[in-house]
Amino acid sequence: MLETLNESLPPHDHPGLVEIVKVTKIYPPDVVALKNVSLRAEKGELIFLTGPSGAGKTTLLKLLCRQEIPTKGLIEIDGNDLNTLSDNAIQKLRQRIGVAYQDFKLLPRLSVFQNIAMPMEVQFKSLKEIRHRVTELLAKLGLSAKLNKPAGKLSRGEQQRIAIARAAANSPLLLLADEPTGNLDAGTTGLVMDLFRELNDNGSTIIIATHDESIYQGTNHRKFELQQGELF
Amino acid sequence: MRFFLFIFTQTLRNICHSWGVQLMTLLTVTLSVLIFSFFYLIYTNMLQAGEKIGEELRLTVYLDAQLSPAGQEEFIKKVNSFGKVEKIIFITPEQAFQRLTKQLGSDSDVLADLSPAFLPYSAEIYPHKDLRNLSRIKEFSDYLTNLPGTQKVQYGQAWVERFGHFIKLLRFIVIISGTLLILTTMFMVSYTLRLTLYARQDELKVLRYLGATNSYIKGPVLIEGFALGLFGSGLGLAALFFLFQWIKHHFSSAGFLGLFELRFLPMSDSAIILLGSIMLCTLGSLLSIRRLLKK
Ligand SMILES: Nc1ncnc2c1ncn2[C@@H]1O[C@H](COP(=O)(O)OP(=O)(O)OP(=O)(O)O)[C@@H](O)[C@H]1O
Ligand SMILES: [Mg+2]
Repeated sequence: MLETLNESLPPHDHPGLVEIVKVTKIYPPDVVALKNVSLRAEKGELIFLTGPSGAGKTTLLKLLCRQEIPTKGLIEIDGNDLNTLSDNAIQKLRQRIGVAYQDFKLLPRLSVFQNIAMPMEVQFKSLKEIRHRVTELLAKLGLSAKLNKPAGKLSRGEQQRIAIARAAANSPLLLLADEPTGNLDAGTTGLVMDLFRELNDNGSTIIIATHDESIYQGTNHRKFELQQGELF
Repeated sequence: MRFFLFIFTQTLRNICHSWGVQLMTLLTVTLSVLIFSFFYLIYTNMLQAGEKIGEELRLTVYLDAQLSPAGQEEFIKKVNSFGKVEKIIFITPEQAFQRLTKQLGSDSDVLADLSPAFLPYSAEIYPHKDLRNLSRIKEFSDYLTNLPGTQKVQYGQAWVERFGHFIKLLRFIVIISGTLLILTTMFMVSYTLRLTLYARQDELKVLRYLGATNSYIKGPVLIEGFALGLFGSGLGLAALFFLFQWIKHHFSSAGFLGLFELRFLPMSDSAIILLGSIMLCTLGSLLSIRRLLKK
């Protein structure tokens, strides 16, 4: 099994930051969300993942942060085979992966500040550092006025940007953004893309799943299309 | 260092999140500790009283007739063959009469017309420490009753027996309240903490997604359990101390309690109660989170 997987690896002399090899995901009982998908992302790359609704974009991102487990196939991140990592090692790896979920997964009763601070607290960053980073991110996303508002009281578009700020807080090794501009107008979409570009310039590898053609048209980043679980 | 600071602020945040339930749990722990240590305090004081009474315990053997020196030797030998005694004193009717006169004091004129002859010869036996427990004393008394030349043996049977039963009852109550203490603290703490954890389930889920390790999630909960144990039992012991002072102040001059001095729990016992409660509460908090972290 492993040999056939290895043979199918593209001929690179160094492993990519993300290696997805012949991954299939079947949700019980028989929903095939991903079929034999292989994808490699280099360190520092920005990749777009497109495709119609239900194609499997979210599923692919969930596999990368171990929120779901592949039915078949191999996933490696930064040289770690996710299948063989211990629970604790998975948590440590998750600390280096920022995820902006399609459904945000914010805590509505906590303030905007507390929500964005959470991943930094998990890594025991100092309060000073956290304050600095949170205000910086909010300024970049045009949300400075909302610092102490409960996250649940914000509009969808504002919540979306909070989710992105939380994913970006630790300047992660790998950033996964699921439909990050779905609720945004052109202006705020620009702010979000500027933030991604900045993170990318500073070395973060970024994978963006999106329907929004405007954010990938005219860029020279790689783009993959998922259709009914198959990658093109 | 920063790790502990974070765990600590996280703990405070959790406590603020559900302070009502936490306060109830704290009071439950306090009350259990108070009830247990109250009975334990009575028990230790009673044991002490018992010891004091035991020191004065003696058996009086009334004899048919005066014993010759050889007879006395024989008697001493027989008594010693049952168990160790501290001393044996033979008392003649004259000596007993004198003692009685002394005890009666100014009322001694009631004895004026009487002669010492109405009093029997007797022997007073002061048992050794090893013999001074209730069942041994009873056996000893039966043994002495069956010695030739013995009329009757007296040692305040009824009183000693009742006291012994009382001590037994107290021990039983201490054990029961101790068990209740263990059960209530452990289950209350693990139950409330589990409730508060369920209330925070969304937060815990998000924390897992953000890469929080087990110890990051467990730490604050364990500290909560620890704090509940520390403050709960601390308050309980403090309440007991004030209760004790009050009782001492109001009752120490009254009859029975005047027999001996009331004493508070020794430092070591208080420390054990404190540490025990802390351990139980921490254990309870561990129980509450174990199941939650499994999935
Ligand atoms: N937890 C689940 N259990 C069962 N089926 C699921 C589950 N999650 C997703 N699916 C199914 O898997 C397929 C892919 O879903 P996925 O969410 O990955 O699509 P998507 O490309 O993100 O779509 P969208 O653009 O609408 O977000 C869909 O058919 C969906 O119904
Ligand atoms: Mg999706």
